[in-house]
Amino acid sequence: MSDLTLNYEIVQKFIVEFIKEEVVSNGFNKGILGLSGGVDSALVAYLSVKALGRENVKALLLPYKMTSPESLTDAMHVVKDLEIPFEKIDITKIADSYFSEVKLNNKLRMGNFLARVRMSIIFDKAAEFNAMVLGTSNKSEFLLGYGTWYGDMAAGIYPIGDLYKTQVWELAKFVGVPDKIIQKKPTADLWPGQTDESELGASYKNLDAVLHLYVDKRRTKEEILKMGFNESLVNNIINRIYKTQFKRTFPPVAKFSSRTVGIDFLYPHDFKR
Amino acid sequence: MKVKFALAQINPVLGDLEKNIKKHEEFIERAIQNGADVIVFPELSITGYKLNDLTQEVAIKPYDALLSKIFSLSKKIDISLGFVERGDDEIPYNSAMYIENGRIKNIYRKIYLPTHGMFQELRFFGKGKILRVFNTKYGRVGTVICRDFFHPSLVFLAYAQKADFVFAMSNMPLRGLEGEKPGIQHMVEYAAYTYANFFSQFIVFVNRVGFEDGMGFYGGSFIETPSGKVAGFSGILTENLTFAEVDTEEIFLRRQAFPLLREEDFNLINSNLNRILSEDRNV
Repeated sequence: MSDLTLNYEIVQKFIVEFIKEEVVSNGFNKGILGLSGGVDSALVAYLSVKALGRENVKALLLPYKMTSPESLTDAMHVVKDLEIPFEKIDITKIADSYFSEVKLNNKLRMGNFLARVRMSIIFDKAAEFNAMVLGTSNKSEFLLGYGTWYGDMAAGIYPIGDLYKTQVWELAKFVGVPDKIIQKKPTADLWPGQTDESELGASYKNLDAVLHLYVDKRRTKEEILKMGFNESLVNNIINRIYKTQFKRTFPPVAKFSSRTVGIDFLYPHDFKR
Repeated sequence: MKVKFALAQINPVLGDLEKNIKKHEEFIERAIQNGADVIVFPELSITGYKLNDLTQEVAIKPYDALLSKIFSLSKKIDISLGFVERGDDEIPYNSAMYIENGRIKNIYRKIYLPTHGMFQELRFFGKGKILRVFNTKYGRVGTVICRDFFHPSLVFLAYAQKADFVFAMSNMPLRGLEGEKPGIQHMVEYAAYTYANFFSQFIVFVNRVGFEDGMGFYGGSFIETPSGKVAGFSGILTENLTFAEVDTEEIFLRRQAFPLLREEDFNLINSNLNRILSEDRNV
């Protein structure tokens, strides 16, 4: 089996230093993030406050009419606990005007649209607050492609992007995210009753175990099956990784010049800043 | 002889020669004020690590005027720093230079350039071919750079030249957070302990800190003495200048207590290596 236990004391220190330095080296001293009430954005908020100071982290609460009231309460709990500046903007009118205009009634398309409306608002508010957008995607979501491309995946940096969801829970405990937020079922909150684990068809414990073996330990599918994991689970995970690679890479550029962006224009992200 | 080292665990700005050189000057001045005999910087200390296409833009000739103040400061302290060397052959090298009394004493070009996973050095740098140990006021010094340190054969070459000190100037990114300390740190300390003990020499490990494109360099600079003790640990993840005084007498004591160097038969190693290389097509 695989052991995903980490030394959370060093992980916390490492990520806090990462946020501090990447925000500054990108020309900012503030960060902004969408706070959903879930554990990922809560954890990023706690870590960012340690890195940047509470007055330099701004939270945006962006509910839609179908967002559960519990999510809002939990997000407010984080705001109050950290004493950070926040704004609440209800996106129902913005989204519904489009949905009725094009007569949209498809849950997946609506969910993606909401994620991109939130992204637009977060980036606009980032310009107003002169802050860097802090991503809240984790490694499980990245690898499974469980996120909206140019929606919740859009960000300046990804502080918890190398932590699996089960590790996010552990680090959240370590840094003092309220228990209630850590305990509740993960959800994208795109429609009532939606949960990640029912949509993905497995618990994060199993998903992470297989991802860790396949990605980090480079074990083959056959080896993983021999360890007793369910075959359809393993197939589903591996297919998802392949099918969603486009979300994790710079899109292909038709190359004909000597230095092409995305192919051989190889400047680092963080330079001379 | 007592030697006071300054371990400059710095966080350079990627691609910004001016800022980094200024930081070098400040650290060197602090080291002089504290009476250090020598200051050691990390790999690529005046350029930063993940240069990629910037490599050719920050490559300089060893006597570039940008370094003139550092050269004049070297009249008061020996300096070992990392830079992108524009070689006489117009190839960029990942190099370390040792400056003493206004002159370059030695330039070492990194031999093993990692090119796998997150590392891309062979895409941008020429490969060094020579490890030459040189004399300083306080003993014989050999330099290796980062990945070189994980090749015992290179540290052995310094040993074969009777090095008293091996400088391991590094840019090691942190990875492996399962244990009590980062996995990479454990590996470095384990290697340093082994080399120092069996080659009866001081290991001076200087690693940078800071983040570049998500990679975080862990620091953790220290000196390992020939009797397996740690002098002057810099801690991890924070920039600092750490001082450590060591006594070269320890080398003499160690080489009597555990006379491996006296026993060593370098000709035998050489003839066996030649035989292996001529006989075995798989090597």
